[in-house]
Amino acid sequence: MPVDNLPLPDPQRLFDGAPCALVVTREDGTIVQANQCFSDWTGFSLDELKERRFQDLLTMGGRIFHQTHLGPLMKMQGSIAEVKLDLLHRDRRTVTVLLNGVRYEHAGIAYNELALFGTTDRDKYERELLNARKLAEALLQEKTATEVALQQAQAELSSAYEIAQRRALFAEQMVAIVSHDLKNPLTAIKMASEFLARGERSPKERQLLGHIGLSTERAQRMIADLLDFTQARVGQGIGINPVALDLHTVTRDSLDELRVAFPKAILEHHATGSARTFLDADRIQQIIGNLVANSVAYGDLQQPITVTSHQDAQESRLSVHNHGPAIPEALMAGLFEPMTRGTEQDSEVRSVGLGLFIVREIAKAHDGGVSVSSSPDQGTSFSVHFPLRHP
Amino acid sequence: MDLQQRNNVRVYGSGPTTLVFSHGFGCDQTMWNYLFPHFTGRFRVVLYDLVGAGQSDLSAYDSEKYSSLAGYAHDLGEVIDEYAVGPVVLVGHSVSAMIGALADRQAPGKIAAHVMIGPSPCYIDSGDYTGGFTLEDIHSLLDTLDSNYLGWSSTVAPVIMGAPGQPALGEELTNSFCRTEPDIAKRFARVTFLSDNRQDIAGLMTPTLILQSTDDLIAPVCVGEYLHAALPASTYCLVDNVGHCPHMSAPGACSAAMDSFLLPWVGADASR
Repeated sequence: MPVDNLPLPDPQRLFDGAPCALVVTREDGTIVQANQCFSDWTGFSLDELKERRFQDLLTMGGRIFHQTHLGPLMKMQGSIAEVKLDLLHRDRRTVTVLLNGVRYEHAGIAYNELALFGTTDRDKYERELLNARKLAEALLQEKTATEVALQQAQAELSSAYEIAQRRALFAEQMVAIVSHDLKNPLTAIKMASEFLARGERSPKERQLLGHIGLSTERAQRMIADLLDFTQARVGQGIGINPVALDLHTVTRDSLDELRVAFPKAILEHHATGSARTFLDADRIQQIIGNLVANSVAYGDLQQPITVTSHQDAQESRLSVHNHGPAIPEALMAGLFEPMTRGTEQDSEVRSVGLGLFIVREIAKAHDGGVSVSSSPDQGTSFSVHFPLRHP
Repeated sequence: MDLQQRNNVRVYGSGPTTLVFSHGFGCDQTMWNYLFPHFTGRFRVVLYDLVGAGQSDLSAYDSEKYSSLAGYAHDLGEVIDEYAVGPVVLVGHSVSAMIGALADRQAPGKIAAHVMIGPSPCYIDSGDYTGGFTLEDIHSLLDTLDSNYLGWSSTVAPVIMGAPGQPALGEELTNSFCRTEPDIAKRFARVTFLSDNRQDIAGLMTPTLILQSTDDLIAPVCVGEYLHAALPASTYCLVDNVGHCPHMSAPGACSAAMDSFLLPWVGADASR
C-alpha cells in the first residue's frame, strides 16, 4: 500500500500528543491553545492555561527577557529559535526548556506559535560548562595579574640592581681617589719621623718614633692594598712586569724581611724542584707577604708557618701552610672576595680584608690561579700556581 | 571619535525640530521602525544605537565609562550636538528615558522636551517606593542572559528560522536586532536595572510626556504615576497596551499622544 494512503491520526490528536510542548498565543502573550505536554510541564489544565499569559508562566528573569528581547524579536523578525527559559510549574518547580517560535497572522490577528523542548539535563551540563568557563576566565585573569606583578617586580629589581651597581662603582672610585691622596701625607709623616730619629732622642721618644714608623708602614701597606683593589675593580686589572727570576730566591728574600716584621712567628721555607720562570718579583713578594700575614693573623703561632716554593718544567707554585683552626665551611666560597675576613677578632696585623682578593688578582694577571684547603687535622693551606711563562 | 560609526547614527526627514529616538535595554534602534516614519514628514528624526548595542562600535565600549548611565548620557549629548537642528525633543524608551533626563541635567537647555516611553527611575523596590522588582529578580535576569549567551555562540542573537510573511528580511538585518557581546549585555543589564535615578528626575522642569502602558511588567502603572508626580511639567498618558514596548505593539496610540504633545514644536506650515 502506498504511504500516501496510510490512515493518520487527525491533526488535533497530533497536536495534543506531540512529544514537545506546543502553545499558541495572541501577540500580548495570552494563551489561546496549548497541548497536553505544556499542561503537564506547567501543572495547569488546558482551561486554566487559557486565562493566562505565556510570560506569566516563566521565572522573573525569563519574564524580563521576554519583554526586552523575545517579544520585540518575534515582532520584528517574525520568528525566534533556541531561546532557553525556565517554565515555572504551579508548585514552583522549574522546567528548563528551549523555545522556538513563529509569528503569523490569521484573519487579521497576529498569533505566536511556540514549540518548547525540555532540556533539563542538558541545562545541567551547560551550567557546568558555564561554571568551568567562569572559573577559567577567573584563573586567566589571576594569571594575567600575577604576570603583570611579576614583570613589575622584575623591573623594580633590575632598576634597584642598576642603582646598587652605580653606587658600588662610585664607592670604589672614591676609595681609589682617597687612597691615592693619602699616600703623600703618609710619605711626609714617615720621612719626618725618620728625620727626627736621626737626632739625639730619649728612650721614650725613640719608642714613640718606632711606633710612628711601624704604624705608618702598616698604613702604607693598607693603601697599597686599596690601590691594587681599585685597580683590579674599576681599572684595567692589576698590572705586572714579569722578569726572569728564581722563585726560591725571591721567596727566601721575602721571608727574611717577614721575619723582621713578624718576630713572634716561626717561618720555615721549603724549596722543591728547579727551573727559572718569568714573574713579577715585587708581586710575588706581595703574595707571600699577604699569605704569611694571613697565617700570622689566624694561625697558631706556637707552630711553624711553612712556605713552600716549587718550580718545574710545567708550573711554579707557592703555598703557605699554618696550623690554625679550620676555616668555617660557610666562609670558604667567598674567601677570595674583597672585604672577607676569617673572623671578627681584632688584631695588630689585620688589614682591610683585601689580602686574599689581591693574591687572586695577581695570580690571574699571571694567568694563574689560587686554591685553599682547610681542616682541623691538616691545618690551612693556601696555594698559588702560575703556568710556566716565557718572555 | 566618529560618532556616526560609534553610535550607528541614522538621520531621516526634515523639520524645524529634531526628534532624537533612543532605544532601551534589549534590542536596538530597529525597535523604532513602527513609530518613527510617522514623524519624518514634520521633523528631523535622528536614530542611534547605544554603545554596546545593535551596530554600534563595540570597540568603543569602555567598561569604566558605561558603568553608570552618565556615560550613555554623555554620548547622547554628543549625538545631539552633532546631528540636531533646532530644538530637540528626546524620545527615550525604558532606560533611555533616564539617560535623557541625565543628559538634560548635564547640559540644561539642550533638550527642549522629553517623550518617555515606559520610563522607570528605579526598578528595585525600596522603602515606600515600588519599582516592581527585587534584587533577586535582577539576578534571575542575569542568569537567563547567561543561559542564552551560552547557546548563542559568542556574539550571535537568537537564530532566525525564516519569517513567514516577511521574506524580505535579510540575514544582515535580522541578526542585528538584539546582538550584543555577552559581557556587555550583562553589564548593561546591571547598570539599567540597578540604577536609582529618583534624585536626578526630581523637579526636572523640562516639559515631559509620559507614555505609560496599562499592563507593563518592567514599568508598572504605579511607577508612571510616581514619575508624573515627581516631574512638575509632565503630561501623563496611559496607553492601552500589554508589554513594555507600546511603540511596537501600539504605535498608533503612541503617535497620537505624541502628536498633540509635540504641537508647540511643529513648524508653522505643519501646524496650520
